[in-house]
Amino acid sequence: MSVLSMEISAMGLTFTNPVLCASGTFGYGREFSGLCDLSRLGGLVTKGVSLEPRAGNPPPRVCETASGMLNSIGLENVGLRAFVADKLPFLRDCGTRVLVNFFGETADDYVRCAEGLSGHRGVDGLEANISCPNVEAGGIEFGVEPQMAGALVQRVCGATDLPVVVKLTPNVTDIVPIARACVQAGAAGLSLINTLKGMAVDARAGRPRLGRRFGGLSGPAIKPVALRLVWQVAQAGLGVPILGIGGICSGEDVAELMLAGATLVQVGTANFLRPDAGQQVAEELERFCQRYHPALRSVGELTGGLA
Amino acid sequence: MDRDFFTARLVETRAMGSGYALLRLQGCGPLSGARAGQFVMLRGDWGRDPILPRAYSILSCGGDEARFLVQQVGRGSGLLARATPGAPLTVLGPLGNGFPEPGPGQSDLLVAGGCGLPPLHLAASQAAEAGRASRVELLLGARTADQLLPSLLDELREPEIAIQLATEDGSAGQRGLVTDLLERRLGETDTAREAGGLPGSAGRARETSTTRRILACGPPAMLRAVREVARRHDTRCFLSLEAEMACGLGACLGCAVQARRGSQYLHVCADGPVFDGEDVWP
Repeated sequence: MSVLSMEISAMGLTFTNPVLCASGTFGYGREFSGLCDLSRLGGLVTKGVSLEPRAGNPPPRVCETASGMLNSIGLENVGLRAFVADKLPFLRDCGTRVLVNFFGETADDYVRCAEGLSGHRGVDGLEANISCPNVEAGGIEFGVEPQMAGALVQRVCGATDLPVVVKLTPNVTDIVPIARACVQAGAAGLSLINTLKGMAVDARAGRPRLGRRFGGLSGPAIKPVALRLVWQVAQAGLGVPILGIGGICSGEDVAELMLAGATLVQVGTANFLRPDAGQQVAEELERFCQRYHPALRSVGELTGGLA
Repeated sequence: MDRDFFTARLVETRAMGSGYALLRLQGCGPLSGARAGQFVMLRGDWGRDPILPRAYSILSCGGDEARFLVQQVGRGSGLLARATPGAPLTVLGPLGNGFPEPGPGQSDLLVAGGCGLPPLHLAASQAAEAGRASRVELLLGARTADQLLPSLLDELREPEIAIQLATEDGSAGQRGLVTDLLERRLGETDTAREAGGLPGSAGRARETSTTRRILACGPPAMLRAVREVARRHDTRCFLSLEAEMACGLGACLGCAVQARRGSQYLHVCADGPVFDGEDVWP
């Protein structure tokens, strides 16, 4: 058995392993201190940050579904200023790579947020959530239309020296042109997939289970969708790393997404199952590779290796 | 008190009737110093579906053991209620704030509705351990007599906690709601003060709205009613709330509850689950 390197180089950064914790499921990192050894993660992606604080949606905001869950948190967050003042100091020395997820309601919001997140020690990169309604375009989401997505990403990338990863929504007819537009506009990487839009009904009470009716579906239920979309985007050969997300609960799940084309992955809903899920998944991945792919020298060789 | 994530072992599952099961776990050392009102996220080793752990108030804790009351309402609680002794369960806790410590000389009215009993049961037990049994009274309400969890109540009779019961169908205790008991109980205080005390509670005559508190847990409609009664009698109330929850750690922000003032939300896991009645709900 050769010595297996778990290290991944992507977007000009080195990650100790390919497993990051996904935005929205890992708070600002500190919530998990003492429960998950952050230094054993490849990295973490923060809760989405916006220019101003947001209160979020009326409850109920989460509900369980078959092999997954729906959430409609409504992007509640402390806002850029409090993030930098109160959340960033912990992240600076947390021992892992930090990507800060951010979003806005207008392109200007995105630009100002990206500017505000730049130039701070402790922020290794940005992840732009473009699954948000563009209030200047009648509320259509930025990420569902290639031209709009590309224009936004171009402005964001022009506003920061940090690598910008763009998180793509699966709720589109064809994800490839959107992915391509983002890469042509300067995206350093693509995260996919964000949650699938869904709904749950309490038939006994005769009402929707979520306060805002619709929510985002996550968890093992969506892994097949993630695999298919990661594969499709990888096949387009856009030349940037893919951060695969969708229902990862084990090291073997990571290997599946990497084989489909992901360079890095993000563990999301599984963090609720156990707070050390990311750490555990990373350790499992190493054991999985040693057992089933003993010839590998580097875990990165899995990427795109699907027969 | 630091929260921990650990695997405990189920040693006993006791069916309590009316869809209730009492779970006794070993390997719960990290919970031994928990406060009444704190909770855990509990999950069995059943693969990925249902995926989320479930939030339960701590019913009892001490040494290596802890107990939880599970009411079967869906898939997760059903699996927990049917889990067999020996099963490993993951536990994340103790979580949340718990009820605030009583001030010197303060007495507590513990108001529980149905499955809201556990945190108040723990509050009563801990008060008894601290030699405060005469300073707490438990008011418990349920729809019917068989939902009153008699074996749990028996545990509180030994340390002589005063208990009053109400059932909606009148099958045990007073017919009506637990808030009717509370209203009557608070109404008696003034009368008692004039009459020189009532049987069963010598301290009642000396009780004033500043030396007593209400600690309550139960369905939201009951808790709102408790708050109304508390306001009428100028008594501070602390409400233990429940919400759909994914992480228990303040990370997912799923367990939002509307704050009393403004358009902000509080979070049951990180800001609660115990709230001053005047801080939540418009």
